[in-house]
Amino acid sequence: MQKGFMYGLKQSIPIGIGYAPVALTFGILAIQNGLTVMESGLMSILVFAGASQFIAIQLIGQGATAWIIGLTTLIVNLRHIVMSFSMLRFFSKIGLGKLATIAHGITDESFVLSSNILQGVLTPEERSRVALGINSGAYFSWVLFSFVGAYIGNRLVINFSGFDFALLALFIVLTVSTVKKDNLPVYILAGLLAIILKLLLPGKWYLLISVIAAAAVGSLMIKKNTKDIVEEEKSYES
Amino acid sequence: MNHDIILIILAMAVVTYGARALPFLLFRNKNMGGFLKSFVELVPVALLAALVIPEFFVTAENSLSFFNPFLLAGISTFLFARKIPNLFLCVLFGMLAYWCFDKIV
Repeated sequence: MQKGFMYGLKQSIPIGIGYAPVALTFGILAIQNGLTVMESGLMSILVFAGASQFIAIQLIGQGATAWIIGLTTLIVNLRHIVMSFSMLRFFSKIGLGKLATIAHGITDESFVLSSNILQGVLTPEERSRVALGINSGAYFSWVLFSFVGAYIGNRLVINFSGFDFALLALFIVLTVSTVKKDNLPVYILAGLLAIILKLLLPGKWYLLISVIAAAAVGSLMIKKNTKDIVEEEKSYES
Repeated sequence: MNHDIILIILAMAVVTYGARALPFLLFRNKNMGGFLKSFVELVPVALLAALVIPEFFVTAENSLSFFNPFLLAGISTFLFARKIPNLFLCVLFGMLAYWCFDKIV
């Protein structure tokens, strides 16, 4: 069966649920830091990157310049380069226009979900539509609830702590279907590095460094293994 | 709308979109092989670990912890997801499990 935009949209529901309370909080804090409802919503529409938006409104509240905030945002969001780079393998021969649209929707959550789901989608064309669906669902929730949060300001208090766990639950389900015997060492290495680096470094640096280090070590090990196998085969032949 | 804030939002948008789109622009339709190929294939699983594992062991106060609602709810959700591999149900279960442990612990 062909899989398309709607399929992706449906898969994005857990992300949408997880984003809602975070975006609400963002909207509320944005108002408290002196942004208007339109400005808060506009930031979510144009930037669509949670952590950097929270940092930015805090810096705006402290009166930082566009330069400082731009630079901080770049540092926090550098890891998106690695994610886009990794996603390219799904989209061979897809036009630049479509890729440009997909690019705007790449977040930690949509990337991890897409990487998992797109493996089961056959053609690059279908994959691009499914990816657009996933990204759109996540984007819609983020933008909508940023506006809602900014609009209601402090008037609403949600007292269900379960929302704090929604995105983590999504990641755990993906862990069950993504982690296999052959990539388990990379998972463990990245997890341990991330713990250590999160304790030591500020902000989101731990994500970028642990991902690059663990994926690099993992691929070096694969290279070494295939070399060993090739050499073994050679010794059989001789 | 305030001009300074619009400028800030635009600066953020440019650098963030740049980080997202640059690889698409530079490496589109290039064949990746060997090291790079396995590297990009391992990025999702590595990121998954880096997003999940620290949440279980590093608290909001940035100290190590081996007993907290996140870890307990995480283990429960993991076991649940192995039995019932449905994304939506698992997220629902995880949220409820966390809510319970957060009340108790």
